[in-house]
Amino acid sequence: MIIKLERITLQTRKHNEAIDITAKVDNVVRTSGVKNGLVNILTTHTSSGLLVTEGIPCLEEDILTHLSRLFPEDVDYHHRRYLDYDGRLGFNAEAHLKSVVGGISCTFPVENGEVVRGSRQAVYFMEYDGPLERTYLVQVLGD
Amino acid sequence: MIDFHTHPVLIREFVAKYPGYERAAREVFNIGNNFQPLETFLLQMDVAGIERAVLLPIACERARKDAVSSNEQVAELCTMTKRFIGFASVDPLENGAARELENAVRDLRLKGLKLDPALQEFRPNASNVFPIYETAAALKIPVLLHTGMSWAPQTALEIGKPLLLEEPIRQFPKLNFVLAHFGWPWVWEATALALKYPNVFLDMSCLYYDSPKEFYQSVFSKRIPTTVIERSLRDKLVFGSNYPRVEITNMVHALKSLPLTEGCLQKILKENAERLLGLTDAIQ
Repeated sequence: MIIKLERITLQTRKHNEAIDITAKVDNVVRTSGVKNGLVNILTTHTSSGLLVTEGIPCLEEDILTHLSRLFPEDVDYHHRRYLDYDGRLGFNAEAHLKSVVGGISCTFPVENGEVVRGSRQAVYFMEYDGPLERTYLVQVLGD
Repeated sequence: MIDFHTHPVLIREFVAKYPGYERAAREVFNIGNNFQPLETFLLQMDVAGIERAVLLPIACERARKDAVSSNEQVAELCTMTKRFIGFASVDPLENGAARELENAVRDLRLKGLKLDPALQEFRPNASNVFPIYETAAALKIPVLLHTGMSWAPQTALEIGKPLLLEEPIRQFPKLNFVLAHFGWPWVWEATALALKYPNVFLDMSCLYYDSPKEFYQSVFSKRIPTTVIERSLRDKLVFGSNYPRVEITNMVHALKSLPLTEGCLQKILKENAERLLGLTDAIQ
C-alpha cells in the first residue's frame, strides 16, 4: 500500500475567490505511484473551503454570491469579540460559516493511475477570507 | 489612500533571517496569526484600495528583550516597494537615542518617529523623554504615539491616557503629534487635545470590540458625534488600520459606513497624511 501526502500552498488574491485546483490534484495522483485507490483533498484552514462543481466562471460567481447572501457580513455574530490566543478580534464569522456549509474536503477514486470523476466535475479551493497564503492537502492511498 | 498605522510583524521572509522576530510577534506584540509572505501584505492593501502604508516598528528591547520590528527591517521593506513609508522607533531612555533617530532619518530615510510608552515602559510626560521630542522637532518629522488601550500583554493601561501628552504637546508646538487609536477608551480626551492644539492629530486605528463597522458606529457616532468629525476634526484625522490585528479592507469599509462627506473622507484617507508626511513624490 502506498500513502502519499502533499501539502500545496497557494496565494489567494481576493477576499472571496474560487480557485480551480483540478490539474494540481491530477498531477499529485499521477506522480504518486498509486494505480488503484483513493485521493482525498482537504483545506487546512477554517475560513476557506474545498468543493466540487462544474468548472465554469458563472457557477464560481453564483456560489460565492449566494454563500454571501446566506452569511452576510452585516448581521449579528457572537464571533465578534477579542480572541486572546490571536491577539485580535474575530469578526470573520461569515467566512467560517461558508466553510462549514460549503465543505472542507472531497474524495475521488483512483483507477489506473488517474482520478475518476464526472466530465463536468472540477475541484475548487474556496477562499472566504483572503487574500492570504493558504495550504491544502492532497493524500493519495492505494496500490 | 494611505494607511497610517500598520505593523510589519508577520512577514514570513523575516522569520528565519532575524532572530527574535518570531518571539516578538508572538510574545511581545501578542499576535497568533500565521506568518505570511510579503506579497499578502501588498494584496491586503490592493483589496482595500490602499496605495501606501506607514510601517511602524517598536524599539522595546530594554523592556521586552526583542524589538517589535526594527528600524533596519522597516528600511529593508521600504527598499522593496515605494508603497511603504517607514517610521523609526528609538528608546527615549537609552543613551544615544537622539543620535539613533538622526541616523534613522538621515541614513535609513525613515519619515517619522513611533513611540509606544506602554510597551517601551516609559512615561511620555517625564522630563527625561523630552530630548527625543526635541530631536524629532529638529528633524521636522511627526511623532506617532500609541495612546489608549494596548493588546500587548504586561502593558499598563494608565500610561495610554492621552492627557499625559499635554505637556510635551505644549512644550513642542512645532512637533506634530499623532495620537494612535484615537486614545480609546479616552476618546474625548484625545478629541479635546486635537481640537485645542494645532499640532495634534489622531489616527483612527481603533477596534476593541464588535466588528469594525459596529465599533466605528459606536465610537464615531454615539460617543463622538459624527458631526464633530465632519465639522471640527476633518483636518486632524488620519486613517489607520492597525494591520495585521485587523484586515485593512474591513477598516476602510467601517470608515466609509459613517455619514461623512466625500471631501472629509478624502482628507482622512489621504490629504491629512500627505501633509503630515510631507509627501510630494508620486508612486512609481
